[in-house]
Amino acid sequence: MERWAILNKLILIFFMGLTLIYQETIGLSWAVLLLLLYLCINICLHLSSRQVLVTLFLLFSMTLSIMGNVHVSALFILLLPLSVVELLDKWKTRTILSFILAIVPVFYVQQEIRAIYVLIAIYTFFTYTMGKFFHEKLVKKEEQLDAMRIMQQKLMKQINENDAYMKQSAYMFKLEERNRISQEIHDDIGHAITGALIQMEAAKRLMRGDQEKAEQLLQNAIGITQDGIESIRLTLKNLKPSIEQVGINRLKLYIDEFQARHDKRTMLTYRGNMDRITHMQWKIIQENVTEALTNSLKYAEASTLIAVDVNVLNKLIRIVVKDNGKGAAKIEKGLGIIGMEERTATLDGKIIIDGNDGFSVTTLLPIQQDEGKS
Amino acid sequence: MNILEIQDLTKKFDDFIAVDDMSLAIAEGEIFGFLGSNGAGKSTTINMITGLLRKNKGSIMILGKETSKDSEFVKRHIGLIPQEIAIYEDLTAYENVKFFAGLYGLRGGELHDRTVEALEFVGLTEKQKSYPKTFSGGMKRRLNIACAIAHQPKLIIMDEPTVGIDPQSRKYILQSVHKLNEMGCTIIYTSHYMEEVEEICSRIAIIDHGKIIAEGTKEQLKSLITDSKLIFIEVKSQEAIDVDTIYKIQGVTDVKVDENTVQIHTELGVNNLNQIIDYFIRNQLEIRSLDEKEPNLETVFLTLTGRNLRDS
Repeated sequence: MERWAILNKLILIFFMGLTLIYQETIGLSWAVLLLLLYLCINICLHLSSRQVLVTLFLLFSMTLSIMGNVHVSALFILLLPLSVVELLDKWKTRTILSFILAIVPVFYVQQEIRAIYVLIAIYTFFTYTMGKFFHEKLVKKEEQLDAMRIMQQKLMKQINENDAYMKQSAYMFKLEERNRISQEIHDDIGHAITGALIQMEAAKRLMRGDQEKAEQLLQNAIGITQDGIESIRLTLKNLKPSIEQVGINRLKLYIDEFQARHDKRTMLTYRGNMDRITHMQWKIIQENVTEALTNSLKYAEASTLIAVDVNVLNKLIRIVVKDNGKGAAKIEKGLGIIGMEERTATLDGKIIIDGNDGFSVTTLLPIQQDEGKS
Repeated sequence: MNILEIQDLTKKFDDFIAVDDMSLAIAEGEIFGFLGSNGAGKSTTINMITGLLRKNKGSIMILGKETSKDSEFVKRHIGLIPQEIAIYEDLTAYENVKFFAGLYGLRGGELHDRTVEALEFVGLTEKQKSYPKTFSGGMKRRLNIACAIAHQPKLIIMDEPTVGIDPQSRKYILQSVHKLNEMGCTIIYTSHYMEEVEEICSRIAIIDHGKIIAEGTKEQLKSLITDSKLIFIEVKSQEAIDVDTIYKIQGVTDVKVDENTVQIHTELGVNNLNQIIDYFIRNQLEIRSLDEKEPNLETVFLTLTGRNLRDS
């Protein structure tokens, strides 16, 4: 932006220099001195950043042009309008006023350069204001761009986090699955085979003496082995633990823990088909419930009961965390609430916060069509 | 084309957030309902659309123009019927309408013609020389409507137009909403009377705490909650009921028999009541009473927000 003002000044000085040379005025040396002085002042002006100094330099440059006009050459007045416009811009006056003030000296200017003064005044005013206008626009656009970049970064981070979460929960699933299988092998199949083995050993020993008893024992062993095979089949069939189990169990666990740690009665109820809730939705439910419970703990004085309800409706999942505390007539959106809103919005959900009767946080999430896949 | 487009609209009164990051689009020719309890942010939104309140954030476009920039253009195409009746008691009905139409720049013969048309539309032609002092609440409301439509706006906003009026005027107003819509007007209708909204609106937004929590046709809204309705049939004796046969009727998803009442879950939108009744008649089961429970907007609101519409 300053670049344009400087360029403007250069053009003016160049124009004056040329005119002075061709006019062959008497005080050429004085004129050169004044022009150089003007240059120095304006260089200082653009170098300093303090308002007072800038104002001083501008005033000085204005007096210089007036002095030059009176004592050396009428042309020096042409440097005045730009200084006026610059000064008034520094003081943040309205543009139209600075235009009028820049044009006013025309009445005091020598007649022969009046026309050229008006031309220069208008020219400097226009270039300066336009420069300013576009510069401001540019700054604004850059700010917008920055804001968008930050937003993009934030979203990228979120994507990465969610990605990591998905991987982690897939891993968790595997782990839980492995645990379940080993548990079942130990509990059912292991016991069954051991039992069968013992019976067969016994049958082997009894074979000679008590054939009937031995046969019975063998029959038992066959039965047990059959059961074992059946239970292997069942274990394998049940291989996939539903998301439901993991999600609701984790929430249950958390709420039990919360209840044990803080002296608040906390209840979890759930209705509908939990199978339709996806991993990502469980993650958000878990986080929102955690946040809402913390809020209740912090702000709901005298509350004795917190109810958490997960309800799967036809096309929506509704999660409500409600306490019976004093509520809040005015709800201030703190970081916690904004966080919940942002999280929920990533899955096209909504948050309703109500402080009329106790304090309640309702999360609404649309059910995703490709359920269970994500 | 969308007649109204709202993006990220926010309004704060000090700390209180009346409208919270609301986005919405209304197409031309719709009757769009704003449904919400008192203080949900309906009137605040409307006041921002009409330019009576400044917004803190966001944009409102009417016919593709930003309201805060082209306010004159926008106002010319909006008719607002405010919640509180806004008419002059010491002007006649005719003068009232003429005055308001005049504000929109109508002049001379056109002004007169439009005034007469508007009065005729609300059925107050005979009363045009009378003063509103002598009018009933319903007639005042109708005059209020005439004042807002005389300049033939494209978008008419009605803010609780049926509060505190007699049933007859209410019916009249609801009919006129339909008529205006048939004439090509887009209508935004706010109310906390669920039945009205359900009856006349082609699309509905449920607003709570300054947010749109659900939006769509009434069928879409209901289907958020459930896709089935319940039919209760009380019979004299349940012994001869064959549940499997009822299951075979189209749309039936679940049948329960509890004492002498048969509870039938059936898909919404499948009309199978005749077949169900037919089954009972054919098997000579005496029906004592029949009750149908279909989800309505009230249930939707209650389920989503946990509160009744009428609670404030």
